[in-house]
Amino acid sequence: MSLIKKPGGKTIEVVKNLPRITLANLRPNPGAKTLEKRRGRGMHGGNRSGWGHKGERQRCNRPRLGFEGGQTPFYLVIPKYGYNANHSRQPQYPPLSLRRLQYLIDLGRIDPSQPIDLTQLVNGRGVEIQPQKRDYGVQLVDEGADIFCAKVNLEVQAASEKAIAAVERNGGVITTSYYDPRSLQILIKPVPFFMPGEPIPKRLFPGEDLLPYYTDANNRGYLADPDKIQTARMDLAKKYGYSIPDISKDTLFEMLVQRKNPRHIFFGLSPGWVVNMADKKILKPTDDKVLQYYGS
Amino acid sequence: MSASVRSMSLTFCRAARVAFRAFNPATRPLSTGYCLRTEIRPADGSRDIIESTEEFRFVERLIPPSRIPAPPKHDGPAPSGWTPPSDTPPSLPYMIRRSRMHNVPVYSDIKHGNQHSTLIRKIEGDIWALNKEVKEFLLELTGKDPPTQVNEITGSIRVKGQFDKELKDWLLNKGF
Repeated sequence: MSLIKKPGGKTIEVVKNLPRITLANLRPNPGAKTLEKRRGRGMHGGNRSGWGHKGERQRCNRPRLGFEGGQTPFYLVIPKYGYNANHSRQPQYPPLSLRRLQYLIDLGRIDPSQPIDLTQLVNGRGVEIQPQKRDYGVQLVDEGADIFCAKVNLEVQAASEKAIAAVERNGGVITTSYYDPRSLQILIKPVPFFMPGEPIPKRLFPGEDLLPYYTDANNRGYLADPDKIQTARMDLAKKYGYSIPDISKDTLFEMLVQRKNPRHIFFGLSPGWVVNMADKKILKPTDDKVLQYYGS
Repeated sequence: MSASVRSMSLTFCRAARVAFRAFNPATRPLSTGYCLRTEIRPADGSRDIIESTEEFRFVERLIPPSRIPAPPKHDGPAPSGWTPPSDTPPSLPYMIRRSRMHNVPVYSDIKHGNQHSTLIRKIEGDIWALNKEVKEFLLELTGKDPPTQVNEITGSIRVKGQFDKELKDWLLNKGF
């Protein structure tokens, strides 16, 4: 007589015949619950009945939590302070120093012959951006301004005056531009966004609080007047004592003058287009209403 | 008999009413119209889309690289201070390779908030010869014999105290 052993033999038979689990037959595991002690019941009554001797304990009249017998309690001694007040309106900009940017270019992790935006910086593992933690992009700081010697077309979200001067001294172009959190997430991780085949959204304009920064020519804002930017470049060169090199005969002139459309997230890709990563194709809509929506 | 006739006439009337409602265009149920429209729509939509492969080059440069790129050629130290390793490895009994990001594998470390140490990694060959030279170098630098810890299995040396910058420059001058 030979018995064929099945995995979980008996248990599976039992579970098959049992009724389905419903709210009506759910109960805690055996031993998971301990019954509350019922003092002074049955033959255990009389005298103090297991409640101890006198006072708050016997009469079950304990004071509230945090009460310190009349002394000013701890939770009222320390005054309130708004460490995290207004936290949802405090945009964070992780720093990117010019020294680090030069290091990334030296090691070939960033290609200066192409316009550099946040995608290139993240792909070169130069910065880490977390839009969920209120990051709105990177700020270019002036550490290493004296060693910076690359000619770049750079797009960051904030930049100090000295950093702008260091980039323009070498014949480079710098723009500060705003990305709303959704566009920022798409910009830093484009491929996971393209995979499901959603249309590229249009970039939103900055809100009331950030609009003055991005319309100011001194910050090289992307919404500033181009003529004012030219005069601001000259003024900054005068202030720091350098002359702006003439880039009109440069081999990289075409690349250096490229500017992103304020409504576009990527260079060369319009909002409303769908990227097919599998077939390496781009699908463009022609419906008037769709074009009107993405074009506005 | 009369009861059965009445029930028959009732059922006939109901059937007629349902049929009238279904075929009268004014009272046609909404669901049938919706079905028809959804059948037509994809055919229209496919004609409305333009497919292009020309702009895909803009997508290609957004794809992150899967490997760390090899650094371009530099004559001597790069502007940022990074120095490439010498073309021929120095003739020493030990060898220290660059890290995956092409830097000298010397790191500073703090344990329990106050235990400062320096770690030299990726050592190949005679690790004890390097240990001796590190001790001699630091004796000259600080005037004290620093305690060191040699790990032959992981190929690393831990030095007490933070001397990462000094040791990095020292190893760079040796040609690693």
